[in-house]
Amino acid sequence: MKRHLQALAVLLLLGAVKLPLEEAATQRFRAAGLLSAPLSLGLRENLSQMGFAASLGGLRSLVATITYLQAYHAWENVNWGKVDSLFQLTTSLQPHYTNYWDEASWHMAYNAASYYLQDEKTEPFVRGRLFEEHVKRGIDILKEGLRYLPDDARLWHSLAEIYERRSHEPRLAAEAYLQVYRITKNNRYVRFAAYQFAETADPELWKKAYDFLRSSYEKKNQRTPSLLDTLKKLEERLNIPLMQRIPDQRKPMEVAPTELGPMR
Amino acid sequence: MSLPFSIPRIWTLAAATVTQLLRMKIMGFLLVFCVIVVVAGFAFPVMNPEQQLKLLKDVSFGALQLFSMVIAICATALLLPRDLEDRTLYTILAKPVPRFEYLLGKLFGVLILIGSGLLLMDIAFSAVLWLRESLVLAQSVAALQQEGTATPEAITQIKAIVGKQGLTWNLHLGVVAIFLKASVITALTLMISCFASSTLFTIVISFLITIAGHGQGLIRDYFLSGQGGMFKMLFSALLAIVTPDMAVFDIVDNVINGELVTLPSFGLMAGIATAYAIGYSVVSHLLFVEKEL
Amino acid sequence: MSAPASSIPAVTVENLTKVFKAGLGQAPFTAVRDLSLQVNTGEVYGLIGPNGCGKSTTMKAILGLVTPTRGHTSVFGKPSIEVESRRDVGFLPENPYFYKHLNGLETLLFYGRLCSMKGPELKDRAKEMLAITGLEDAANRRVSGYSKGMLQRLGLAQALLHRPRLVVLDEPTAGVDPSGSRKIRDLILGFKEQGITVLVTSHLLEQMQEVCDRVGIMGHGQMVREGRLDDLIAVENETELVLSDATPELLAEIRALVASKGHGAKLVRTGHPRTTLEKLFLEVADK
Repeated sequence: MKRHLQALAVLLLLGAVKLPLEEAATQRFRAAGLLSAPLSLGLRENLSQMGFAASLGGLRSLVATITYLQAYHAWENVNWGKVDSLFQLTTSLQPHYTNYWDEASWHMAYNAASYYLQDEKTEPFVRGRLFEEHVKRGIDILKEGLRYLPDDARLWHSLAEIYERRSHEPRLAAEAYLQVYRITKNNRYVRFAAYQFAETADPELWKKAYDFLRSSYEKKNQRTPSLLDTLKKLEERLNIPLMQRIPDQRKPMEVAPTELGPMR
Repeated sequence: MSLPFSIPRIWTLAAATVTQLLRMKIMGFLLVFCVIVVVAGFAFPVMNPEQQLKLLKDVSFGALQLFSMVIAICATALLLPRDLEDRTLYTILAKPVPRFEYLLGKLFGVLILIGSGLLLMDIAFSAVLWLRESLVLAQSVAALQQEGTATPEAITQIKAIVGKQGLTWNLHLGVVAIFLKASVITALTLMISCFASSTLFTIVISFLITIAGHGQGLIRDYFLSGQGGMFKMLFSALLAIVTPDMAVFDIVDNVINGELVTLPSFGLMAGIATAYAIGYSVVSHLLFVEKEL
Repeated sequence: MSAPASSIPAVTVENLTKVFKAGLGQAPFTAVRDLSLQVNTGEVYGLIGPNGCGKSTTMKAILGLVTPTRGHTSVFGKPSIEVESRRDVGFLPENPYFYKHLNGLETLLFYGRLCSMKGPELKDRAKEMLAITGLEDAANRRVSGYSKGMLQRLGLAQALLHRPRLVVLDEPTAGVDPSGSRKIRDLILGFKEQGITVLVTSHLLEQMQEVCDRVGIMGHGQMVREGRLDDLIAVENETELVLSDATPELLAEIRALVASKGHGAKLVRTGHPRTTLEKLFLEVADK
């Protein structure tokens, strides 16, 4: 009996010592991105009992892969509601995995939105609404992902592209491109931002665009057709004194192999 | 003349435990694992390359976790009752063998088995991942070349993306984390089997505590936040104190994503695991030393 | 061997009481009640009694496998609860099992290592024990294929491997065929010659009678009778007259003589000598 009481005492002592240690370790590992926060209550309901138990049992990543595959399957069956809710589950299981956020928003802002836009069974007015709603959903997904991964260039880039190509909000697109530049330090994103600023109706932003492009033109010796075109347009709009404008005659374009991707 | 304990004796007992468990055909799981890894590696070609590598890692690490947890609980739960039933325990303890040496021998035996099982699986998994990574990379570069966009920069970028999802040293630290968790579960199960009356009881209780341990973060938050009534508070406090926090070792989920395990973090984790292993072993000893056989 | 060693009894049990706690709502069970006994160095002591009389619990207490509720036990002067007390003891449990995946030799090596034996010395000793117990041919066979008698002999080999001064044998012949049990009996007699103290329990009283110097008879957790075998089975008011090659006529004359000049003496029986321990056992155990 005495030994049993000693055993209980050791167990309780261990418990009392380990509790703050584990709390500290959990905070530390969460801060370092090694552990994810526990699932929110709402999402737990979406997971089956087994799935929830497994996600607790250290198999979150595996459960996420399964819900991802289910989402893939739902996509093949063109079930957009299900794609969205399954991706929501997947991203909440593994919020630090870029690909899930990116793909979730891509499905909504591009695939689902276009599907509804071209759905001839639906009234044209409703189609437009659905298109906008799904583009908006794609944007929201990316914003949510960026809360977890504020320094993820790929997510910022995807967000910029949706603003640019799907919702046509050039100012927001420009700001997102500038975030990509902040992270990658790649100058082409400054140019991309400038092109978007030039698309806005705000003269102040035109000026900003002009400054960016002009500096690119001077320092980096950038002479891509888009850049020259946009600069010309901006010189007109901003009434830049003639002496300061760039030469009218376009120089033959030189494809510089140092920059990545198609020339813009 | 009389040493407090003898390492050769503990080693003898541990080695006997390993062979005893091997005889139970436990390592058959290894074969199943290899099949799972190969299937996961090559069965889903529809997804993007990055996701394919992630799936391979998810499935493999899931299988590693399952293997280590199931062995830690079931194998350990079987050891003491079987020795008692076969009366081998009598012949062993009738020799000048202190009871804690017997317990340590069992503990180390299971740990050696799990450790070598994980090592073998890690090797098999690493080989498949490496192969798959090379294939994915070759495919991606070939695709770039077809599009005519295979600039050195583009290739470097692809390499970086694929490399992050590919084979890294960090992944092996994830395997070590799985081992640490299995050690805690093994020590826990051994402790329970020291007072349990049946194997089934040991297995059920160990599984329950292990599962509760994975949700310990939730329990602790509840307890520390002070929500709920007095009774609920006390109950969650008791659970938080008695169950180990298994989730601390679940860094694997994010290591798969390429998160880096720093040395201090790893040390902290190993420290917690060691504390549990020692604590539970002491309790096991106290329960076992006067156990009526 | 040091001088005081011989004066210290091999086994001392003093006022041993063992109460097993039962489950909830059940009364505790007293397996052994205030038992005292002593086994002297070099003798063969037989502990006999019906099933459930507390023999095995007493043995386990002597070996430190159970903790006494009251009283204490010691082996060569060392308390049984100390690991050190087991250094000079070899134990053969009832129906022993060994790790099935090992062969005979490996089993002995395993137990030898537990006794801190090692290297060529251990290997030679293991082989020697296999030879003594007649298991040489089975040395490389898995224990799972052993017969009951072979397991019992392997158990003996295991018990004697580290040259103990005391061997404790629990039902060494249980379930073993007559020839196997005779082999075991011969081995026990061999121990006695080597000066090894033996504490043995058995149901086969005939064999006990052949090997034991002293016996203790237990019933209901207590010692009912104890003493030298010869004294125990001698019946005070009877005289045994053993004749060889007596003719029926001679026997008839003796009967007539007892009847006519017996002064009250009666002829109880004539016939061939038989086990008397068995009778005694039944008498005492059925009380």
